[in-house]
Amino acid sequence: MAEKIGKHIAIYGKGGIGKSTTTSNISAALAEAGYRVIQIGCDPKSDSTNTLRGNNYLPTVLDSLREGNKIHLEDISVKGFSGVLCIESGGPVPGVGCAGRGINAAVTLLQELHLFEEFKPDFVLYDVLGDVVCGGFAVPIRDGITDRAYVVSSSDFMALYAANNLFKAINKYAPSGGAKLGGVIANSMKPGYHREIVEDFVEKTGTSIAGYVNRSIDVQQSELYGKTVIEAKPKSAQADIYRELAKYIARNDDLVIPNPMGVAELKEWARTWGDRIYDIENGVVGLAEAI
Amino acid sequence: MSEIIKNPRNGCALHGALKTVQEIKGAVPVIHANAGCGVINYFAGKASSGGSSRYSGYSVPGTAIQDRHVIFGGASRLREQIKNTIKVVNGDLYVILNSCESAMVGDDVDAMTREIVDQGEPVVDTLVAGFNGGEHYGYEHVLADILSSIDGVKKSEKNTDPKLVNIFGIIPGKDPYWQGNLEEIKRILEGFGLRVNTFFGPYGGVDDLVNAKNAALTIAFSKWGELPAEKLKEKYDIPVLLRPSLPVGAEQLRSLADSIAGSIDIDKDEVDKFLAKEEAYERDLLYRAREDIIENDLSATAVLVGDEEQVIRLGAFLTEVLGMEIYAAVITDLLKKDEEHKSDNIEFLKNIAGNIYITSDQKEIEDIIRSEKPEVIFGSSLEKKIADKFDIPIIETSYPVFEKLILNKASAGIKGEISFIEEYVTVAKKFKAEKKSKLLSYIKGEGRESSAETSQTVRNVRKLSLVTG
Repeated sequence: MAEKIGKHIAIYGKGGIGKSTTTSNISAALAEAGYRVIQIGCDPKSDSTNTLRGNNYLPTVLDSLREGNKIHLEDISVKGFSGVLCIESGGPVPGVGCAGRGINAAVTLLQELHLFEEFKPDFVLYDVLGDVVCGGFAVPIRDGITDRAYVVSSSDFMALYAANNLFKAINKYAPSGGAKLGGVIANSMKPGYHREIVEDFVEKTGTSIAGYVNRSIDVQQSELYGKTVIEAKPKSAQADIYRELAKYIARNDDLVIPNPMGVAELKEWARTWGDRIYDIENGVVGLAEAI
Repeated sequence: MSEIIKNPRNGCALHGALKTVQEIKGAVPVIHANAGCGVINYFAGKASSGGSSRYSGYSVPGTAIQDRHVIFGGASRLREQIKNTIKVVNGDLYVILNSCESAMVGDDVDAMTREIVDQGEPVVDTLVAGFNGGEHYGYEHVLADILSSIDGVKKSEKNTDPKLVNIFGIIPGKDPYWQGNLEEIKRILEGFGLRVNTFFGPYGGVDDLVNAKNAALTIAFSKWGELPAEKLKEKYDIPVLLRPSLPVGAEQLRSLADSIAGSIDIDKDEVDKFLAKEEAYERDLLYRAREDIIENDLSATAVLVGDEEQVIRLGAFLTEVLGMEIYAAVITDLLKKDEEHKSDNIEFLKNIAGNIYITSDQKEIEDIIRSEKPEVIFGSSLEKKIADKFDIPIIETSYPVFEKLILNKASAGIKGEISFIEEYVTVAKKFKAEKKSKLLSYIKGEGRESSAETSQTVRNVRKLSLVTG
């Protein structure tokens, strides 16, 4: 494979956890800082780049492939906020065909179209569907397409479970040239024990936290306007959180191969936290704390 | 860990199903797979003896699915292909064969089939993904699936015929003599006063599949006939008779007649009369061949290579009739690890051969022959090389057979027994004549230049003097 143009970063996470929102805000922040950025949505829902391009219509790569015509880059990409090049891989309708193969075909096609040679990006962000459900969804972290992955997770067990699954995939592919982990983006952080849970999780799995993104009404409002927080509320504290996160991701070269927990270990770990949260919520005072 | 298999002689489940459907008169296979899946079966068959007389090779309708059909689903492409096939190919039954791709993607082929059936067309479908099993699996599953669905697309009243029997277990193409064997077993069963659904070849067809429910008995002549037979038992309560192999020789014919009589009523006098005729015919011809059998020393030691049914069939005959000693039987059926059949023929095999091996790897088979050191090999053309190397005759009895065209020649029953003796004596005579000719050219002084050839010839002379006494 030829030398990569720009840093290629995959962002994974459980469905609905805020991957697309986070990725789009990182892209917007990087573009605002003067970088050339491509964001590729790797999800059949094809809504990853909505807030970067004001919800305008964008034909997906696979839509074009289905029609069988010769495909040009300009047909499947559009420049959004601050010149971020937006691309959606697309996929079959739910319940039909093979979305995993779709992601694979779309990424291959983008390479064949010399996307990176043409656009010369500083950063390429791949926003990848939820859990790693099959080999197709591991394509962005395999075969040297990206060299680093981040995972977006809240403190919810199922989100951490999905993160742990991604760690398993990285653990499998990294030794043979696949991506390593840049860190966990702790999303939807609320006051209380939420940070602590994610911190404990990263410690257990030998990973680190790339940044904390608090739960904020600014995010919801901006999305309703079809914009990123960076564009809609550039002076808000939330915009600065995303800028900090983008800066960290741009600079971070400290990549690791995680040590995912086994199924039983993960369940046991979750149970321990269940007990601790119960105690916290019910004001149970531990022996040491009573002294 | 995966292992290398040299020259495997079995195709995948799709190939087995395709071989099966394309030999049913009136049935049209429609392959739902990527381009090449069907054609590779054609090439494999073409390299061996005999082609198919119906839709085979390039003329098999298929969806030839591409990347976009994998990504977005191939069901609509299949709908298009079925409709086009029905327009251009007259068939009594269209059988959709679903491949690995279709299984992986999860195309809803059942819904597609229902849609076409609702329009009044006779279509059935079956899943024969290559990763599910080999061609034996394909044979049993496509038949079982057709028999499960055919009532819904070819409606007829059930009207049991007490003299009608179904026969399964002989895989078209996989037994090089399948056509002749089916004709022979049909002749024999008719001699017992029965009527036969053979399903395949010129005497079979879709009508046999429709009438299968009217049979009084289903006979499975190998373990691969069990599944379709059990399907008919489950749906129509038709009793099943499991036999380890087709019969060879009059004695085995009698044993078959006895076991049929244990399941359904057959006219004992009619059977006895028929068997007496067959025995007389067999005796007459074997007497005629007796000097050849003795002079050519046919009762040698042997290794048998072939599918289980063929090995049992031939092995029993070779040991019981010709008095041969079978050092080893190599079973080439492609078995899955969790393969389950009621028939356990290991006891039959133990009575036939000293050692029993299960492999379809040419290298392993050659190693077995090397270690067993037989005087003759009964196997496929793939064993020719090792036979030449050890300078022993080979009689080609199992798939593949490269240098012959076999159309209706049998290797079972009485006719098959006689033609097998003909073949064996012919090969033995030819082998002996070649040795004699080599000896004569040595005496005349031809080819003495090479020391390697000389030593080979000397070895041959020694062997020949042993044979001729």
